Formats: sequence, structure tokens, C-alpha cells
Amino acid sequence: MKVKLWGTRGSIPSPGPETIRYGGNTSCVGVTLADGSLLALDAGTGIRCLGLALGDEPARLHILLTHLHLDHIQGLVFFAPAFRPQTEIVIWGPASPEASLRDRIARYISAPLSPVEVRELPCDVSFRHCPETEWEIGSARIRAASVAHRGPTLGYRIEDGDSSLAYIPDHEPALGADLERLEDDWISGLGLARDASLLIHDGQYTDAEYPDHVGWGHSALSHSLAFARRAGAERTVLFHHDPMHSDEFLDRHGEEAGERWRALGGEPGSLELGAERAEFELPAHAPQIAAAPA
Amino acid sequence: MTQKPLELILARNLMSALSTPAFLVDEGGVLVFYNEAAGMMLGKRFEELGTVGPDEWGQMFGPFDEEGEPIPYDDLPLVSAVRDGRPAHAEYEIHSADGTSHEVEVSAFPILTAHGSQGGIAIFWPTAMNGNGARPA
Repeated sequence: MKVKLWGTRGSIPSPGPETIRYGGNTSCVGVTLADGSLLALDAGTGIRCLGLALGDEPARLHILLTHLHLDHIQGLVFFAPAFRPQTEIVIWGPASPEASLRDRIARYISAPLSPVEVRELPCDVSFRHCPETEWEIGSARIRAASVAHRGPTLGYRIEDGDSSLAYIPDHEPALGADLERLEDDWISGLGLARDASLLIHDGQYTDAEYPDHVGWGHSALSHSLAFARRAGAERTVLFHHDPMHSDEFLDRHGEEAGERWRALGGEPGSLELGAERAEFELPAHAPQIAAAPA
Repeated sequence: MTQKPLELILARNLMSALSTPAFLVDEGGVLVFYNEAAGMMLGKRFEELGTVGPDEWGQMFGPFDEEGEPIPYDDLPLVSAVRDGRPAHAEYEIHSADGTSHEVEVSAFPILTAHGSQGGIAIFWPTAMNGNGARPA
């Protein structure tokens, strides 16, 4: 399984010289499974570049949406493969008692917010609610579970061979909870992240910023570290960077995160801040993962 | 590892912050949590007791009717809330670990989700007649 970060920013695209290294595109992670199947985790503005990288080849891919906040779907109408008739796209996402996944996404892909309507997309696109039980896509087994965020929100676990990826980009597991004291099965998302080869997790706020954002659906650094430690993932990437955090700020934040991670007993180098275009290869039949240069 | 349904997790988090005694049961009627206020009323913290099956917690704490007779399990507000998916309310007496009786009103409601019933919550209100509802056993 190959994993590439196409958008690491949270909330709103934040392009500019001050965010050029960690990136300004919003959430999107490309995953290539062992059998060649393609997944996109979320469709923030980062999916535009993923689409360009796919080229003109006929494509079949699955887009797994964690939720429908704009920073996770904004790139859909700028995803070039969606405008080619030979492309087949399956969009998965959380169910809602209010309306179907298609109808909720159509609120964005429709006038006046969009120049095109869902029915006008030339590709073969279908919409599916994530099942409660594990299902298969290509060579992978996929599991989705509701996690603590605002509105219906999922986290995902993707297992392909012996490797596993947990993706929980928007997550506030410590809302009203003490992550150090709770039993494992009472911690939001922990079942998805347990012993994953790679955990991509919300890391939006510093501890100093969090008190002004309690209940907004995101984690402070202390929460991200505590969650990662409880999860026991081999490697953790902090993700969904706050749009106010420049590269210089994130460099310092990453240093602090690394020091605190080691102080908690974490393996040196096994926790990092996600940077746009960073790639990870998770061998199908090996216990360790190796990071490839961006 | 099987994670509890998110709705139960969030309910527990909310209940942990309340000063009103509250019980949380899963879809099978197992008492999976009660908060500190309930622990004070019962004379035993949840951490001391742990999860309790539906047949056991009635025997431990009651409730009892006006004649002091145990109320049948199927008639408990929390049980009907989970079973029928409807809110329920009742007044009765419960006993804490040291034998103190408490007259309480109980409001119970189900936790209904897109995936069906995930359990129920019962909130205990001391009856207004004697302040905190407590009286010697």
C-alpha cells in the first residue's frame, strides 16, 4: 500500500509562501493498494493535484469521505477525472437521517455554489453509505466508524495484506474525556487506530490554542499524542494543520511534538507532521514501514 | 478491539460532566456507566463496581415501589426506554450501598441512532418533598 498526502491543511485552503512546505491544500490522501486499486481519502482541494497526477488514463477509483465539511469535499468539482466519461468513481461517506449522501453532496455541486450539477458530471459516479461492517475494495478490507467531530463523521481503517492505515483527520476524542484514564473501548476512534502501520490523525491545535476551540471537533497536541500512544501505531502523522500555522510555526510545533512524544516513550522518528506530497510505503508482508522522500 | 458506539461514548462524556445522577445502559440493558453524582447517591463509585448485567443492578439498588416491593425488571423506565424506544418516567425508591433509601424521580430515554437503538440514559431527580430525597433506611 502506497500512501501520498495531497492536502494536509484543515478548514480552508491556505496557499502562500508561508505554507509552501507543509502545504496549503485541504485534506486529501491518495492510496494505491497492492492490487493497484486507487483510493482517495477525502476530497479537499488536494484532490485536484491527485487528479492531475493520474493523467488521462481511464481510471476507476473510490473516494472515501470522512464527512461533508467543505474542506473535505471542495476539490470534487476540480477533480479532472470526474470530467472524463471513461472514469468510474464510487464515493463513500457517512449516512445521515436527513438526506442521502448524493443529495447532501449535491448541495455543494449545484448552483449557485458550483457551475456544474452532479447529474452533469461526465464520469460514471455513484454514491454509497459506508456499511456498519467491514467491506472490501480491491485487495483491501475497509472499516469505517463514527468518530467525535461535529456532524456525522467517520474515521477509516484500511488493511491491505499485513499493513494497515488509519485515517482520522477530524477528531476530538478528548471532548469531555480523559484519554489517560478511559478504557480503550470508550475512546472514540481507538478501535480503528489500534496497532496501525500508519495513523494519520488530527493535529490542528496547540495546547494553548485549544481552550478557545473546545467542541470545534479537533485535537490539541496533548490529545493527539495521548491518542497515538494509546493506539500503539507504528508511525503517526499529525494532519489537518490549522490555516494560521505557517511553515516556521509548524517546524517549531513539530519539534515540540517530537520531544513530547519521546518523553511519553514514543519511538524517536515515529511521529511527524504531515507535509503535502509526502509519501509512505507500507509493505504488504513486513512489520516495518519505510518513508520515501517527498 | 471493539469500540463502543460513538453515541454511548459521547453520552458518557456528557454524563461525566453532570452533577445530576445518571445511568447509562447499552442496547442489551447492561449498565455500562454511571457518573460521580450517581456514585455518591449509591455509595459506590462506578470504578469500584464496573459493568453490571441487567438482572444484577436491580437487585443491588432496587428500585422499590411504595410498599417497599422490588419493581419488576420489565417495568423499569430505563428498560422500557431501551426496549420500546420511548421515553419513560417514574417515581420510586432506591437503596444505596449503606442501606440509605432515596426517593427519586427517574426520567429515561433511549439512544436512537441511524443504526437503531444503542442503549438508554436514566437521569435521577431527588423528589422535591424532602430536598435531597435521602432518608434513613
